[in-house]
Amino acid sequence: MSSGQAIFTDGPGTAPRRPGLFSRMWKQRADYLYVLPAIIVMLIVIGYPIYYTIDLSFSRTPTTLKLSDKTFVGLQNYVAILTSPNFWKVTWQTLVWTVLSTIFAFGLGLGAALSLHREFAGRAFMRGLLLIPWVISAVAASYVWKWLYHSDFGAIGALMVQIGVTDEPINFIDNTRTSLYALIVVNVWKEFSFAMIMLMAGLQTVPESLLRAAQVDGANAWQRFWHVTWPHLSGVSMVTILLLVVQNFNSFIIPFVMTGGGPAGSTHIWITHIYEIAFQRQNWGAGAAYAVILFILMMILGIFYVRALTRGDATRAGT
Amino acid sequence: MAEVILNQVVKTYGSIYAVNHVSLTVADGEFVALVGPSGCGKTTTLNLIAGLIPMSGGDIYIGDKLVNDLDPKDRDIAMVFQNYALYPNKTVFKNLAFPLQMRKLSKDVIDSKVMAAAKVLDITHLLERKPRELSGGQQQRVALGRALVRDPRAFLMDEPLSNLDAKLRVQMRSELKRFHHELNATVVYVTHDQLEAVTMSDKMAVMDGGYLQQYDTPKNVFDHPRNTFVASFVGSPAMSLFPLEIIGAGTSVSLGSPEGWSFPLNELNSRKANASTGKKVILGARHSTITVHKTAHPGAVPGKVYTVEPTGDVTFAQVFVGDSIVVVSVEPQVMLRLDEPVWLEFDQDRMHLFDGQTQLALNPA
Repeated sequence: MSSGQAIFTDGPGTAPRRPGLFSRMWKQRADYLYVLPAIIVMLIVIGYPIYYTIDLSFSRTPTTLKLSDKTFVGLQNYVAILTSPNFWKVTWQTLVWTVLSTIFAFGLGLGAALSLHREFAGRAFMRGLLLIPWVISAVAASYVWKWLYHSDFGAIGALMVQIGVTDEPINFIDNTRTSLYALIVVNVWKEFSFAMIMLMAGLQTVPESLLRAAQVDGANAWQRFWHVTWPHLSGVSMVTILLLVVQNFNSFIIPFVMTGGGPAGSTHIWITHIYEIAFQRQNWGAGAAYAVILFILMMILGIFYVRALTRGDATRAGT
Repeated sequence: MAEVILNQVVKTYGSIYAVNHVSLTVADGEFVALVGPSGCGKTTTLNLIAGLIPMSGGDIYIGDKLVNDLDPKDRDIAMVFQNYALYPNKTVFKNLAFPLQMRKLSKDVIDSKVMAAAKVLDITHLLERKPRELSGGQQQRVALGRALVRDPRAFLMDEPLSNLDAKLRVQMRSELKRFHHELNATVVYVTHDQLEAVTMSDKMAVMDGGYLQQYDTPKNVFDHPRNTFVASFVGSPAMSLFPLEIIGAGTSVSLGSPEGWSFPLNELNSRKANASTGKKVILGARHSTITVHKTAHPGAVPGKVYTVEPTGDVTFAQVFVGDSIVVVSVEPQVMLRLDEPVWLEFDQDRMHLFDGQTQLALNPA
């Protein structure tokens, strides 16, 4: 069912043929003039770095910082990356990190939003409290969590010993099997309030009368959620999930501060890996090539994001 | 269908009484309109009957069942909302089927009931559409269909016509009336439009400030308003009310104004005036009971034309009598000029007297 059909049932005739892109641009040339300063600034601060990164990705750079001495090597950097076992390991870790973080942050955010949506004493306080992870500095939070996880002084280990789960504190971070998951917990804690805020805004759009109608029609709480609330949240959920995916794919601070990618590279995700290659090993060409691949992936996600946003507009315009 | 009984129903929000000890009985098959201005408690009363909000006191019976502690779904009522409250992501068919699915009826039963309801409301050709593809009137009908599809014991309607344009509203008004008649349904209908209440209902409950002001047939409410609020709320244009002073006593009482004029009351109205708690009374007169004279007339009171509103069939005029505005009507061929002096004669058999203090209608002493 396309919403476009609904619009046209009201008006007779067909839509006039759209003129070509360039003739439309020419007609609106004054408008382009107004945004020209912004376009120029963006070309300088965004366009040029992108161009330069792409340029670098086809080059080998000397170990000195003199980038002008780079030599063109074609696709060599890309080939090297795609054939290195490290690439697939980091990609897998990035996927695990992104998917798990997104699922749990969204799920927890949805739960928090639904609990905060009903009236109860102290609701404003709880809302403020649950927002803290989102507004707190990621670096500070990472350091705090690092200490919480610490095997000798950490509260988490101590607590687990106290309640008798283990005999001695587990070292979550310095263990290649658990480190990535320990960091995902931190990331979920940091991000779920973002999902919560988005979904709380979405919940405001659910008409009270629809919920009442469903109540009178005999729907229980779960049925009301599934038949009334959830369909109203699908648009904002789509946008929230896409934003979370992009955000998680681009994560840097938590893994960098807490483990720096270690131990044994077990917490490296793309961005930390790129950072290590480019800025610590001074391998600019390979780092740039990594960044270009990431950029392409991000642009694909970006297309879905814009689609999700504009689809919402079309639905609203159709009603 | 069943009767609905409210007994001393109270709803408070903090120290505010939204519904203040309201008692009324809606007989089986009766169409009752809850009417009043915004914030009078009519919608709250309806939500209390539906069970959507908890009561602070009193009892509600639907049929012979006390429903105070029952969930909306167990009260076996159907509700129609102002904005229709159709499920936007479901087709018309699924909207109608929803209350039946929630009751876990078999698919065949659901199909046949939905088709039957759709047939009654003439919406069979719309069943596969989504609500946003329907006009206001069609959505309204689907909302009615969803209410009637499961044979509830009573219909609760919350301003179901107020989102429609004026022409459609008049049309749907007659359709709703037909609907009520053919199903012999018990209907509690909330509206702020007294005209809807008067034209559609068997009985109307006029509410203000959380109180039930009067509960009677539209004719009785119109002819015998219990107090000045009901008098001014029911009828369009509104009944004119203006304060006067009692002069004399016994069977020959006159009413006088601060400006100095007075006119004598007949015997019945004199006895009513005698029942007043003080010297002050409020005279109430509908436009149709006032005769306009262009020259001084015995028993008529002087006034000055303020505005003239010709409507075609009849011309309404607002006339200043002292400090009060009185609405009168004249034949369209009678020409009234602004600021023209006129004399108003009240029909003593059809005028109303209210106590100046209690605002209640006066009965002959």
